[in-house]
Amino acid sequence: MKSVFQNVTVNGEASGSQQPPKSQKTMTKAERRELQEKQRAAKAVSKTPGAPGGAANAKGGAKPSVPAPSTPTAKKVRRGTDAAMTKPAGAGKDVLSIVGEDTARGLRIFSHFGLPKPPGQAKGDIHPTIVRLGLQFSEFKISGANARCIATLTAFKTVIQDYVTPPNNTLSRHLMTHLSPQITYLVSARPMSVTMGNAIRQLKLEISGSDIDLPEQDAKDALCRKIDNYIRDRIIIADQVIQETAGKKIKDGNVIMTYARSSVVEKVLLRAHAEGKQFSVIVVDSRPMLEGKKLLAVLSSVGIPCTYLLLPAVGSIITEVSIVLVGAHSLHSNGAVFSRAGTALVAMMAKQHSVPVVVCCETYKFSDNVQLDSFIKNELAPEGDLFSSFPLTRPKNTLTLHGQANLEILNPLYDLTPPTSITAVVTEVGVIPPSSISSIPLALGRTTI
Amino acid sequence: MGTEGHSVANQRVVENLASKLRRRQVVGSRETALETVLVLRQVVSKARFSNIDQLVEVIRSVGRKLVDAQPKEHTVGNTVRKVLHHIREEYHTATQGTVLASSSKNTLSISRFVLQGQPRKQNALLKTSADAKGTLKENDPDDPDSFARGLKPVLMEAIQDVLDELETVYDNVSKNAKDHIHSDEIILTIGKSATVEAFLKSAAHYRKFTVIVAETAPSYTGHDMAQSLSSAGISTVLVPDSSIYALMSRVNKVILGAHAILANGGMFAITGSLLAASAARAHSTPVVVCTGQFKLTPQWNLYHEYGALDFADPSSVLGFEEGDLVDKVDVVNPYYDYVRPEFVDAFITNDGDHPPSSVYRLMKEAYDDEDHEL
Repeated sequence: MKSVFQNVTVNGEASGSQQPPKSQKTMTKAERRELQEKQRAAKAVSKTPGAPGGAANAKGGAKPSVPAPSTPTAKKVRRGTDAAMTKPAGAGKDVLSIVGEDTARGLRIFSHFGLPKPPGQAKGDIHPTIVRLGLQFSEFKISGANARCIATLTAFKTVIQDYVTPPNNTLSRHLMTHLSPQITYLVSARPMSVTMGNAIRQLKLEISGSDIDLPEQDAKDALCRKIDNYIRDRIIIADQVIQETAGKKIKDGNVIMTYARSSVVEKVLLRAHAEGKQFSVIVVDSRPMLEGKKLLAVLSSVGIPCTYLLLPAVGSIITEVSIVLVGAHSLHSNGAVFSRAGTALVAMMAKQHSVPVVVCCETYKFSDNVQLDSFIKNELAPEGDLFSSFPLTRPKNTLTLHGQANLEILNPLYDLTPPTSITAVVTEVGVIPPSSISSIPLALGRTTI
Repeated sequence: MGTEGHSVANQRVVENLASKLRRRQVVGSRETALETVLVLRQVVSKARFSNIDQLVEVIRSVGRKLVDAQPKEHTVGNTVRKVLHHIREEYHTATQGTVLASSSKNTLSISRFVLQGQPRKQNALLKTSADAKGTLKENDPDDPDSFARGLKPVLMEAIQDVLDELETVYDNVSKNAKDHIHSDEIILTIGKSATVEAFLKSAAHYRKFTVIVAETAPSYTGHDMAQSLSSAGISTVLVPDSSIYALMSRVNKVILGAHAILANGGMFAITGSLLAASAARAHSTPVVVCTGQFKLTPQWNLYHEYGALDFADPSSVLGFEEGDLVDKVDVVNPYYDYVRPEFVDAFITNDGDHPPSSVYRLMKEAYDDEDHEL
């Protein structure tokens, strides 16, 4: 019932040409069914672009037809979190699995990307910290692999402290089932990053390994301490080691190019500048997120001479560059780097001109699977101009095109840089070639990441 | 020589166009070429000359003035060279009849062999030679205008040919569009090129395919292209430039437009073309450039000069709304990219399809060697 009303109000234009809809009560059952069929058909016809109208519906995107959510769920399995394998809220059961034969092939191949949806109603009891975090994720107030991981772990600390073991249960067994819906809620806000996945897997390990005989508060405190240690060791201290190591690669007079905004690269540059090295930075930036502007503000406020340009201009300026420093979202065992969309282009151009490409990345970002191209797993930026990324020199309404027939707008957020474009990866255990990444955990004696 | 009255009128017309070019009121390869042809037509029709060299010098000086006004608009110079080439051809056919057939056939030498392979266009114009042959007298002391009077009608026809070619560029380029695009293909294009647009729309009549349009920051001409294509019924996907590499593995062809084609087969195209072409090369995807022959420029960019790229307003990259950042940073906004000939697989022109390696031959046919420096 609710869907009928929603269709009538939100997609008024789909069925609007007919007489105004009668209220539910005055329609007979046949009329209601007929109305539903009509709207379904109208939606199927007008939904070839699908995405803009779909996202407006709070019920979720038009594009992810039934096979689509299985890809993110399959990934969750791989990452080992046994969070409830429910599909992200609102995805599968919508009216629009009708991505029929008349949808062009080009649009079908993108259908698995899945549109971002606003986090649905919190089902079950989601801790308010998690609700807040989910909202921050979906509005991109917190973005970046490290930032999201730290925020997630900090929120989990609060959840763990507030947790009370129900009677006839042990903390080590029940806590994880308590955390699972929270994790699902976060995933529905934004797909899980590899860093979050690795951290949560480690947390699971700690939880199931915690001593049954410990009083509850002690166990909770121990867990929180372990979380703090994880953040400290794998992220904060790792970053410091990377700053030192990568800083050695920066010499006086170098021109360093970086892409978008990596927290690690920012720290490297600030530290090198603080040590007194003279270098200049070229910040390359691109839609949809235009994060480079923030990096530009930070760097120029400490006095580093900066140049700013947009991605298409890279080809003209690459001959001036001595080294390219980029960050990563995750590293894969074949040596490929999954990073902000556009990194692959920068790395490719640099390689063509024999400029070394150095990826700064902590070891906890390593992901076991082999990723071959950017299609397997990617994320789309939400509709509309969330990041106010269009220049003010052009009127905004000409630049945000929506809801046109035959036109679909995609803003993938990530892409995959093949290992051939990368010269070296700087981690906290040293500088390694991209193909050696898979040997690190073993070399450190870790059985998991 | 020419009276002051005529040259003043000519000058005014030329000055007009030169100042429009300088102020960027006329922008775009085809528009500038059309304007140049119209100006040249006026100049030639009003010019007074008693031998061919005077006419050539008049046109050359006009060409120099226009090219100096806006050196980055290469089609201005190209059109001047083309008109000169046609004028010389007309002159040769009018005064000497068929030049080629008369060469002796007994001695076989490479140079003769190459000369005999000269432009096929010459034969088409032979028909006008019949009435003008032998009646032209240069530098006639009694009637200094006879030469001009005799030659002008054919010259005007030749210039009209150039104009016609310019006006039918889009139709001719799109003639074989359906042979280049197959069903269910995914095509990547960037920016808004009218030639590519006409090409795709013409193919859409026969085939069903998808086009991915990259936005091309900061001019965002990709948005206009996407809008135009989708309203023509082609299913279009608009993506930001950052995802060009990500999507390239699914793309079957890259179709680009060009601003100017250089003598070695390289080209100037809108920024982002180099990214698209390199990514296509990395994925072994064919890159095809749709252009008109009027964009062929007998110039080189051997040293990949940074200054050869045109630069646009930096405020579309980092505007004044960023406040104090504006003072502290340098902003670069090149408008064109130089794409090396190794990155392009074929040029689809209004005169057929050519690989970059045979662009030099096209130049030889279209222009005369002495015109490379106007």
